[in-house]
Amino acid sequence: MGKAIVITSGKGGVGKTTTSANIGTALALMGKRVCMMDLDIGLRNLDVVLGLDNRIIYDIVDVAEGRAKLVQALVKDKRFDDKLYLLPAAQNTDKTALQPEDVKEIVDELKPDYDYVLIDCPAGIEQGFMNAVAGADAAIVVTTPEISAVRDADRVVGLLEQHPLKEAPRLLINRIRRNMMQDGSTMDIDEITRHLGIELLGIIFDDDAVITTSNQGEPIVLKTDNPASQGYRNVARRLEGETVPLMKLEEQETGGFWHTISSWFHRG
Amino acid sequence: MQAAVLRGTQNGYDLVLKQSASFEQVMVDLKELLENLKADPQALEATKVSLDVLTEDRILTADERTQIEQLVGNYPRFEIHKIAANVMTVADAIQLRERENVHLLSKVIRNGQEVSMQGDVLFLGTIHEGGKLRTTGNIFSMGNVAGILQAGYPDDESKLIMGNLQTAQQIRIAEQFDIIEPDQLTDSGQTIAYVNDLHVLSYGHLDNLKKINPKLYNRIGGI
Repeated sequence: MGKAIVITSGKGGVGKTTTSANIGTALALMGKRVCMMDLDIGLRNLDVVLGLDNRIIYDIVDVAEGRAKLVQALVKDKRFDDKLYLLPAAQNTDKTALQPEDVKEIVDELKPDYDYVLIDCPAGIEQGFMNAVAGADAAIVVTTPEISAVRDADRVVGLLEQHPLKEAPRLLINRIRRNMMQDGSTMDIDEITRHLGIELLGIIFDDDAVITTSNQGEPIVLKTDNPASQGYRNVARRLEGETVPLMKLEEQETGGFWHTISSWFHRG
Repeated sequence: MQAAVLRGTQNGYDLVLKQSASFEQVMVDLKELLENLKADPQALEATKVSLDVLTEDRILTADERTQIEQLVGNYPRFEIHKIAANVMTVADAIQLRERENVHLLSKVIRNGQEVSMQGDVLFLGTIHEGGKLRTTGNIFSMGNVAGILQAGYPDDESKLIMGNLQTAQQIRIAEQFDIIEPDQLTDSGQTIAYVNDLHVLSYGHLDNLKKINPKLYNRIGGI
């Protein structure tokens, strides 16, 4: 029986979809069976980030309304054998087309067949958020080191505390600019974590390659030497229960311990 | 035994309605009593008699109160000062307890959340930006406040807020509010926000509580 995890943030544009795609891919690379659900109905783009947009036949609203069976709507990502699937959102309707019960029913149907069901939540805290949270067992709250994103994350954590899931929400701090955080011009990791009062699941450094890879429809985790990719793979390992130390802010500048070790292997 | 008895006290007259008698009996006896007094005006010294109606352990319904008020109203010499019982309903008691107690509150009030309380609150938790705590009484805060505090909700300007208010977004007492500017308050846990005689929200220090709110100061043992 798998676990359903909703990836949410409140604020838009902090990287929910990118995070969903990358954590899902990282888990699939670790050999887990993963199904990703896009609940951003009307503004779907998880399929684009994964490069699966041309393969969509049916979507989640078709499933909820009985026009298609669940297995028919699932899009398989051929790069990962039988590990990674996507249940796409509908594009020609809006978030009211689904009810929380519909989503819960679909999630419950998926859970026995997969190790992870990742639910990509739309921005906002209205119906779309309620739908996304309805079937979830756990939540990952994504924020960036900006006051506005942290404020919205705070609001979302409050809502999640009012309607508790099986597991307490965990925090992912995305798009960290090392230099800005180091010179103190953005909130630092400890400050954000303490302020929100939830467990830190991981940190992801900002990297140009995240955008270029997502434009090409392949998640950044497929590039092994990228720091953002490393961050996402660490998050996936932590979800699997491993203890992985946080990446260091100054790693890139000073070379760092792991960098030195990996450079030994690259040399030959 | 009469179900309605008139008793003279230092302050005037008590009209005791015996709880052991039925309300019908009380009304019959009360009417008889008032008739007797009307027939014999010399029995009482005062020309105008103000009655404290005591109902012992009986709580009168609104309807019963009106019946008594109407009956007494027929006799111009008498008027009802107040109607009181030795007992109160459980609902009233709970409300009283809520209002009179200091409530401990230790929770995180997040952005967009509003916590409403009754009575005085000793706050030990954290209020994030955009969170709001309001109560009908005073707020004594030992927690971290980055949101909004409101005391004396909705309209009691005699209440105050005490604690470190430097980082709060707004302070509200009754209908008065103040937006806290970054350098407005000192970083002290003994700041007091209160509404002064001119109905303006102002700030003082715990040392001056006696001047700021003598009533509270006396109640908590200041004399």
